[in-house]
Amino acid sequence: MIKLEHVYKRFNTQQEPAVADVSFEVHPGETLVLLGTSGSGKTTTLRMINRLVTPDSGQIYVNGRAVQEQHPETLRRSIGYVLQDNGLFPHYTVAENIGVVPALLEWDKARIADRTDTLMEKLHLPPAQYRDAYPAQLSGGQQQRVGLARALAADPPVLLMDEPFGALDPVTRASVRREFQALDELQNKTVVIVTHDVQEAFELGTRIGLMDSGRLQQLGTPAELLFTPANDFVRAFFREHHLLLELKALTLADIKAYLPPTAEDDSYQAHVLPGTTSCWDALQAAMNTEGVLSVDFSTEVFTMDSKSLMTALSSRKHEASNKQ
Amino acid sequence: MESQQSFFDFIQQQSGKLLEQTLQHIGLTFISLLIAVLIGVPLGILISRKRGLAAPVLGMAGVLQTIPSIALLGFMIPLLGIGPKPAIVALFLYALLPIIRNTYTGIKEVDPAMTAAATGMGMSRRQLLYRIQLPLAMPVLLAGIRTATVINVGVATLAAYIAAGGLGEFIFGGIALNNTHMILAGAIPAALLAILFDGLLSLLQRVQLRKARMPLYALPLLLLLLSSFYLLPAATGGRLLAGFTPEFMGRRDGYLGLKHVYGLRLRTVVINDMIMYKAAYEKKLDLISGSSTDGRVKAFDLVVLDDDKHIFPPYYAAPIVRQATLDQYPELAPALNRLSGMINDSIMTELNYRVDYLKQDPAAVARDFLAAKGLWQPPKDGSKGVVRIGSKIFGDGYILANMYKMLVEGYTDLQAVTKTGLGGTRICFDALVNGQIDLYPEYTGTGLLVILQEPQAVIDSLISDPQKVYAHVQRAFAARYGIRWLPPIGFNNTYALMMRRQQASELHIKKISDLKDAER
Repeated sequence: MIKLEHVYKRFNTQQEPAVADVSFEVHPGETLVLLGTSGSGKTTTLRMINRLVTPDSGQIYVNGRAVQEQHPETLRRSIGYVLQDNGLFPHYTVAENIGVVPALLEWDKARIADRTDTLMEKLHLPPAQYRDAYPAQLSGGQQQRVGLARALAADPPVLLMDEPFGALDPVTRASVRREFQALDELQNKTVVIVTHDVQEAFELGTRIGLMDSGRLQQLGTPAELLFTPANDFVRAFFREHHLLLELKALTLADIKAYLPPTAEDDSYQAHVLPGTTSCWDALQAAMNTEGVLSVDFSTEVFTMDSKSLMTALSSRKHEASNKQ
Repeated sequence: MESQQSFFDFIQQQSGKLLEQTLQHIGLTFISLLIAVLIGVPLGILISRKRGLAAPVLGMAGVLQTIPSIALLGFMIPLLGIGPKPAIVALFLYALLPIIRNTYTGIKEVDPAMTAAATGMGMSRRQLLYRIQLPLAMPVLLAGIRTATVINVGVATLAAYIAAGGLGEFIFGGIALNNTHMILAGAIPAALLAILFDGLLSLLQRVQLRKARMPLYALPLLLLLLSSFYLLPAATGGRLLAGFTPEFMGRRDGYLGLKHVYGLRLRTVVINDMIMYKAAYEKKLDLISGSSTDGRVKAFDLVVLDDDKHIFPPYYAAPIVRQATLDQYPELAPALNRLSGMINDSIMTELNYRVDYLKQDPAAVARDFLAAKGLWQPPKDGSKGVVRIGSKIFGDGYILANMYKMLVEGYTDLQAVTKTGLGGTRICFDALVNGQIDLYPEYTGTGLLVILQEPQAVIDSLISDPQKVYAHVQRAFAARYGIRWLPPIGFNNTYALMMRRQQASELHIKKISDLKDAER
């Protein structure tokens, strides 16, 4: 869907390249997170995909076609774009902001109004109340939701998000993020998200690309980055949050082998989790159900509690380090 | 209350002229503003895109802004003549800087996140400009237009100097004629216009906060409407075009006398005396009101028409001094009197020619003259006190003030300070009465007609005899103001009508009466 080949970019004012020899591919329907500290080149990489920045060398393909060969305005109208501090136009109402791209695509008014209302409802912004409001009258979380709705308005197959939750306080951030994950509009969309927040990357990303000094240090699933780091930088980057990230990176299926066998007579628990649940979510669920859970691995059902989960985790880790 | 009453009387009497001048003023302001917006806004947009051009363009506009307005008007004359054209161009140049700068600043200060968002959404550069940058820059842009409007309302008063009309005709006429009502009749409407337009534009600015697109259309319409007020002065009257100073236009011994005594019906425009001679020389004007000893009469080869019906009263120059100063320094009067009878008309014209046209330093010209007459002495120590010598802004004044300074410092122990360039009669005389200066050279005719403003009967009984006029002003000034007229210097700087020598001989005009035939 999106493909970068040996992309290189250096800004005139700087000595070091902002992006050096970056190549990766984002598959249709996948969410790729570009993770890194500020100045790592992740935003520049993102902006080269919709041609806000022109690479010095290398090729970028969207939908199988090189972006340089596409008309920039047409290209951008087919790509949803969410900015960090939401980038809403202060002199446009909420409805006008959301309708920007459809208007550029010259949809008729009724269709735009219809689409705008649908998106506002899905994002919990009652249209009657907020349609004619101006961005300044909304809270930060609401503004970010409008920004998201604007990016989704023309139903683009590709979505680029630059620190989409970066300007929000931690509480609002978690709730907007949860809403984002639950949004049906995002099904089947190819998404590239730029963030510096490690937890966010692990929560949202199908795969994560960790960048530093303009180079892609490692690209892989959260678990790959965590358990088979490609170099010292990658290892050091996750050290601080390692346990938390492990819990988020590993699903119950990953640790199934280390869970204690379930006794025959154990009662089947009312709360059943699918095997694809992350260990983190399973721990949270365990807290709400007085410690005991059933896990449905489709072939068999396990019963476990938080203690057996942690034991399984540490024996998995032990085995992994013995292998090395 | 009496003066209140008569001010409104004046307004009532002159309401036709006031309305005409106000409309001209509005027209001048907004035609130039419209052109400045049409050129300044695109220029501002251009330099916001090509940042390399920003410094030179803003620099150029800034330099234009610093040129003194009267000088800028002067530069325009050889290029565009006199009348509305140079005035509009000059006003346009003044309005340009605030408009370019605010357009540029407004666009430059649009949050880069906005531009990135708009571009990222897929807006073209044109869409970005019209939908995002201009609406967001609009408050700053409108502030620039407000500034330019207020500047233009002010500078447009100077249009009266170059025959373009406007409220300046009343203001400068009033200053020259010592007529407070006339000054106020020009100044108050001008101030009201500035306040009114500033208020209207600030209203527009506030409206735009809610809906940014409206002023984009409203503004050009408003400008067009207001520009249409400027109706070019209807060209009626004879073949000869006369340019008179505001002062001359309002005086009995000026334009009014030409109308009543000579019965002339001239096509006239109001113009500043500094520009008048050059305009006559460059054939923009045919007839001008000048002063007979002006150096430019010689420089521009003009001829003075003979005043065969004697409407111009004698204007003999003499120093007028505060009696208090004379009492304090008895040696002052003899020093000043050394110049008495030394300068006749042709000498004064020659001296003025050297200053006005050959651009020699008035102090050097004064010194050369005194030295040639054997009057120059090196300054003494100047320890006894300070005498302040004033002068009007015309050539005579500078030279005479310098001569008096040298005489005072050469023959007494006083130190002399010159305060030249005190504007017209009114400013100079007020400064003298209020003790800001101690003396300045004045003309007998001015004293009689402008300062004393004697009843017509008194004037008629005196005017034909220079001696009687001098005696009258000497007596009246001493009694009313405590100011003494010292003996006259010698020359008579009277009003005169003048023409280009060539045109006068072609039309066989020698005296003012001859104009009547030429008019037909």
